Amino acid sequence: MTTADDVRSIEADALPTRFARGWHCLGLARDFTDGKPHTVRAFGQKLVVWAAADGTLNVLDAYCRHMGGDLSRGTVEGDDIACPFHAWRWGGDGRCTRVPYARRVPLRARTAAFPTVRQDGLLFVWNDPEGKPPPEDVTVPRIAGATSDEWTDWSWYSVEIKGANCREIIDNVVDMAHFFYVHYSFPTYFKNIFEGHTATQIMKGVAREDVRRPQAEGSSAPTVLGQTSVATYHGPSFMTDDLTYHYSDGDVDSVLVNCHYPITADSFMLQYGIVVQKAGHLGDTAEDVAAKMGEFIKIGFEQDVSIWQHKARIDNPLLCEEDGPVYQLRRWYEQFYVDAAEVRPEMTDRFEFEIDTTKPNAAWRAEIAENLAQRNGGTGSDATAGAGTGAAVSGPV
Amino acid sequence: MAVRSDSRFLDAPLVPVSCRVCGAGVRVRKSTWDQTSVQWDGEALASCTERRASGPGPGPSGEVFRGCGALAEAIREAAVLGEVRVRSEDG
Ligand code: FES
Ligand SMILES: [Fe+2]
Repeated sequence: MTTADDVRSIEADALPTRFARGWHCLGLARDFTDGKPHTVRAFGQKLVVWAAADGTLNVLDAYCRHMGGDLSRGTVEGDDIACPFHAWRWGGDGRCTRVPYARRVPLRARTAAFPTVRQDGLLFVWNDPEGKPPPEDVTVPRIAGATSDEWTDWSWYSVEIKGANCREIIDNVVDMAHFFYVHYSFPTYFKNIFEGHTATQIMKGVAREDVRRPQAEGSSAPTVLGQTSVATYHGPSFMTDDLTYHYSDGDVDSVLVNCHYPITADSFMLQYGIVVQKAGHLGDTAEDVAAKMGEFIKIGFEQDVSIWQHKARIDNPLLCEEDGPVYQLRRWYEQFYVDAAEVRPEMTDRFEFEIDTTKPNAAWRAEIAENLAQRNGGTGSDATAGAGTGAAVSGPV
Repeated sequence: MAVRSDSRFLDAPLVPVSCRVCGAGVRVRKSTWDQTSVQWDGEALASCTERRASGPGPGPSGEVFRGCGALAEAIREAAVLGEVRVRSEDG
């Protein structure tokens, strides 16, 4: 019998034993094109990444099938990677092309190769525990701004997150309330749409009066009035965010990428980047604006990271009506952790969830008024500690 | 890793609503007048006329179909008629 006095327990199943099927962004393509092999730890493995002579980026399991040498410590020879141990050459398709000291290459000299795509300045790898190639209709969207002269180049950041499974960052897609409490932003509109392999968050927000960017205090710099964000995960790990900041002197359009790849079941590499449209009123400061927005978004991620590193994994979150669709999001996310043949309609069927922000907004307005009154009363600014960091500019996570 | 159920949806389940324009049958839940959850299936999605008429917007997230206006209207009517209970109205 459940009574009102029963203590609710946190339930947490074991961490998943496999890694999500889908395209994962490894970072900026140009970081891998220096003619050297690169070590990437991902999907519980060690990988080698290198650029062939024609610029094609290749990804193989790093361990040589001969005697286990680490290919990522080898050398690039033409299109191939040469093992540092006995110089066996491996091609981007995973086949051994040459054993310099042997008459012929032995049978079955083939290692695990990951399909790659180089697009809009980014490198993507396809992970599939079943070893199948990517279906035609499972693609990464184009980011037109990334290759346009009218837009800035990527401002790109990566950070390794230890002690958390990557589901934590996925959960934030639906977590409206944390944007106020963790990121000091103020969502006024919040809707989620899950469909197929995409999960979208549409959010509008306004700037908080009790959170001011220190450099804006007393200066004539334009102030942020609010933002409009349409952010979509295309598969399990790559999110694009059409993000418009409404400044006092005009809008700034940007595309923010938020992506990650799992390293182990309880660590992942979080990466994010931003390109900004060189709007007329920005003059030639667009690159600076992009870098600055990147810095603000970095602060936002740091706020999330400190939550993740101390929280418990929880499979039975206790939700109020003003919370988002955490369970439905996880149902969507599960499609990437089962065999392709096991994906059920309930995981991919379209689901919409629009939150009523009336009650949260009223509560937050009251809290902000209290913070301002306290500040004006000269008492400590504890209530907004950390808020002066300018993190009112936050991403969709 | 079986996903558990959302107890909010067990306490007040989704109920069927049909679009007056295309006939799409979806399931709906409303916790307030301004909160709506809509569960589609493949058949409903295929019959939605607004969706078919909509083109992708600009930007890499532009593909997403924001929602159907005719269906929203049908849901509102169903709520007014009490066919869809609005949780916050329950004593
Ligand atoms: S282990 Fe790689 S060549 Fe021998
Ligand atoms: Fe966050």
